[in-house]
Amino acid sequence: MALKQISSIRCFGGLQKVFEHSSVELKCKMKFAVYLPSQAESGKCPALYWLSGLTCTEQNFISKSGYQQAASEPCLVVIAPDTSPRGCNIKGEDDSWDFGTGAGFYVNATEDPWKANYRMYSYVTEELPQLINANFPVDPQRMSICGHSMGGHGALICALKNPGKYRSVSAFAPICNPLLCPWGKKAFSGYLGPDESKWKAYDGTCLVKSYSGSQIDILIDQGKDDEILSNGQLLPDNFIAACTEKKIPVVFRLQEESHRRLEGNQQEC
Amino acid sequence: MEEEAEEESGLGRSAAPKDFHFYHMDLYDSEDRLQLFPGDSSRIRREVTQAEDDRELGDEFVDEHRLGTLGYPSYGMRRRDPGREPRDWGEAAEAEDLGYGGGQGPLDQCQDLREAYRYTHGRASEEYECYVIPEEEDEEEPADVFCITCKTPVRTVEKDFDTHKEHEVTPISKALEHAKDEIHKNMCKLEQQIIEMENFASHLEEVFITVEENFGRQEQNFECHYNGILETLAQKYEEKIQALGEKKREKLEALYGQLVSCGENLDACRELMETVEEMCHEEKVEFLKDAVAMTDRLGKFLKTKTDVELSAQPEFEDQTLDFSDVEQLMDAINTIPAPSAPVINPQAPDSATGSSVRVCWSLYSDDTVESYQLSYRPVQDSSSGKDRAEFTMTVKETYCSVINLEPNTQYEFWVVAQNRTGPSPSSEHAVYMTAPSPPSIKTEAIRSCEEAVLICWESGNLNPVDSYTVELIQAETPEASGVTESVIGIPTCESLIQLQPRHSYTIYVRALNMGGTSARSEPATVHTTGSYFQLNKDTCHPWLTISEDGFTVVRSEKKSFRKELPPSKTQFTRCVAVMGNLIPVRGRHYWEVEVAEHLDYTVGVACEDVPKQEDLGANSLSWCMRHTFVSKRHRYEFLHNKTTPDIRITVAPRKIGVLLDYENAKLSFFNVDIAQHLYTFSCQLHQFVHPCFSLEKSGCLKICNGISMPKHVTFF
Repeated sequence: MALKQISSIRCFGGLQKVFEHSSVELKCKMKFAVYLPSQAESGKCPALYWLSGLTCTEQNFISKSGYQQAASEPCLVVIAPDTSPRGCNIKGEDDSWDFGTGAGFYVNATEDPWKANYRMYSYVTEELPQLINANFPVDPQRMSICGHSMGGHGALICALKNPGKYRSVSAFAPICNPLLCPWGKKAFSGYLGPDESKWKAYDGTCLVKSYSGSQIDILIDQGKDDEILSNGQLLPDNFIAACTEKKIPVVFRLQEESHRRLEGNQQEC
Repeated sequence: MEEEAEEESGLGRSAAPKDFHFYHMDLYDSEDRLQLFPGDSSRIRREVTQAEDDRELGDEFVDEHRLGTLGYPSYGMRRRDPGREPRDWGEAAEAEDLGYGGGQGPLDQCQDLREAYRYTHGRASEEYECYVIPEEEDEEEPADVFCITCKTPVRTVEKDFDTHKEHEVTPISKALEHAKDEIHKNMCKLEQQIIEMENFASHLEEVFITVEENFGRQEQNFECHYNGILETLAQKYEEKIQALGEKKREKLEALYGQLVSCGENLDACRELMETVEEMCHEEKVEFLKDAVAMTDRLGKFLKTKTDVELSAQPEFEDQTLDFSDVEQLMDAINTIPAPSAPVINPQAPDSATGSSVRVCWSLYSDDTVESYQLSYRPVQDSSSGKDRAEFTMTVKETYCSVINLEPNTQYEFWVVAQNRTGPSPSSEHAVYMTAPSPPSIKTEAIRSCEEAVLICWESGNLNPVDSYTVELIQAETPEASGVTESVIGIPTCESLIQLQPRHSYTIYVRALNMGGTSARSEPATVHTTGSYFQLNKDTCHPWLTISEDGFTVVRSEKKSFRKELPPSKTQFTRCVAVMGNLIPVRGRHYWEVEVAEHLDYTVGVACEDVPKQEDLGANSLSWCMRHTFVSKRHRYEFLHNKTTPDIRITVAPRKIGVLLDYENAKLSFFNVDIAQHLYTFSCQLHQFVHPCFSLEKSGCLKICNGISMPKHVTFF
């Protein structure tokens, strides 16, 4: 698949690049950002996938978070895809900011008119990694995934649905239990239809309850002052309770910050 | 010959020389090289004479000496015979070629020999003599054969003469060669002899010198002794004379005394006489009065005995002259003196062991010594008044290994040399010291980490030693076996030593003092894997007990006493805690703690002076992870300065890994079983910190040490 480099900026000894390609899964042109640390010139580096939250593109993370400094030291290749297919001209995709464009929710939609393009789950877990592994100096055995908010939800479900694929999962203020929160309900009913049993396949808390895979390492950071938390959108307690019961190791940190503060987090790779 | 004989007898006559002369022994002195061409004989003679004059010819001994070495000049002397005219041989050139340069060539010697032969033969046969002369004049017809019988060259034609008719002849060349050979052999022998005599001459010179030396010594010896004797005699004389003088004085005094009393007596008598005479001239009545009194007086007077015995005899007693000691001295002339004091050496470094020293001394004179007496006693402070035990031993050598001594102790040694005359004065006292006893390593208190070990030990000696040496041997490395690394000059009983990570070492300690080095201590083994520490029992809260192996901490149900404990700087009085002793190295340290799921515990690190009346984590000098199991829920806190982040952990760790990283200012906690990172403190550690553990309820926790950092931890 041909990659077209859109931009390249030197940053903390490495290179922050943006590429564009034609996605098979999403049937449109997709951009993604890749940060290549200096060590990538000499050898394969571990890969970290960053899934952004609602309304974000591939740019938000790379320009706002300042993560490059944190990534350069442990020489991580950081890949930040977009949050939904773009330019598909589907009716209603721009009607709301929390559904459709910029709100792919990392599912494979089953309902029309979304099911043709809105296959972010496959994109993130299959197409994109294959593309990255083929074109960049990454070690396919060392992959981790993380994300914020909707991206956190995406990270959790990708990891839970693919035991052993990711070395670690970190989620920043993730939507832990979309089944029970307004955003989740809206998105899933739109993408997956009214049958709630189908939603469970994309719900972190539900997936944990039925998780029987290999050991997984989950770190969740949550801001105390997060209004979204207080709005009941995130529901981490449910997730934690489920993990505690299933003895899934999670370290959940309640930070003083608000929702939007993103930290560069050192990941175990 | 005559001259020679004369000279030889002269040799016998010569007296011992007054001085020495060193002779030029060079056989081939170019100055004296005698020309081979006989025509120059007169010149040669002059030369020889000249040379000899230069060499103090006037000294008879010189010549004789020279003769002894068979110097060639003797031949030259023979040459003074003016009647001789040297022969000119056709083979003169050849003779020269024989290489006996200088001195007398074989030609000359041949000549002399020939002369000798000629002499004898000459007398025997007129014919020979006659025959010879024409040969001298006739140079056109040289002899060409040699008659062996007559030992003379003849002409072939003359061979048929009567004289040589039956004689054996050989060609002249052959005869010549034969003669040359003979002479050559003799020359060699002569050379040999020259060398021998030269050696002998030098030896004699040495002997001369030795004789002088010995003489000198004897002279001194005699002088000494005789002086001694003379002094003694003089002394005796003085004493005797003085004694006599005393006696005389005594006698005179006594006699004088007698004289004085005589005088007194006389005076008394005379006085009485006068009185009596006066009395007699008195009137009868007065006379009678006084007479009675006088008679009494006279009677009394006369009764007193007059001593007319001489109080002192005029004769003096015969003096006995006691020369026995002089005789002794005289006899002692031939006895060897007692030796002079030996010199005792200072202690050689490293020559002592813990129980012995090697004492050495020397004798800086030629005195005869039969044996030495070495004495010693321990050196003690002058303050202790008790007698010190003294030991003495007799040895024949100038050294002695004295054993059965106390370690790390100073001993005074002195030595006396002895021969049959008596002992020498004592040498100076030298102090020797035994090496110390070996120390013993406190193996139960060894602390280590990947880069270093801190060992401490008992001195093993009552008195202080100078320093300690630590010896390290890396085990398990075949190529490094036997290589010992030493750390020297350690002043105290502990040492922090840098090591290689992930190795095993065997460690020994030795003590040193001025006497030497002690034997090695018992070994201790150190593994530089992970960090290794012990619990500090001094910090342990009384409600905690530490197991025998030192790694399990137990809090039992029962409380031994409920009363408040007084505040302490070392012991925890409120928090039921105990601290470990971590090696003070600013590297990375890792250890693990095994806990039960429902145990209430706190684990972490704290500074040494953390307030012992407070809980762990309640101040700025401690950082720890606390687990409380309450209402069936696990609660985790990561405490420092009483604050903790809000953390929830879904899987309760059974084994907690603690990583202390001074360099990166981090303290991290892990769930070891699932390799999960739990939390990391960022803490600027200016002081050294130690592991700390507390139990909030009864239960126990187990500390695991010496574990190398698991891989997942190394990323932090």
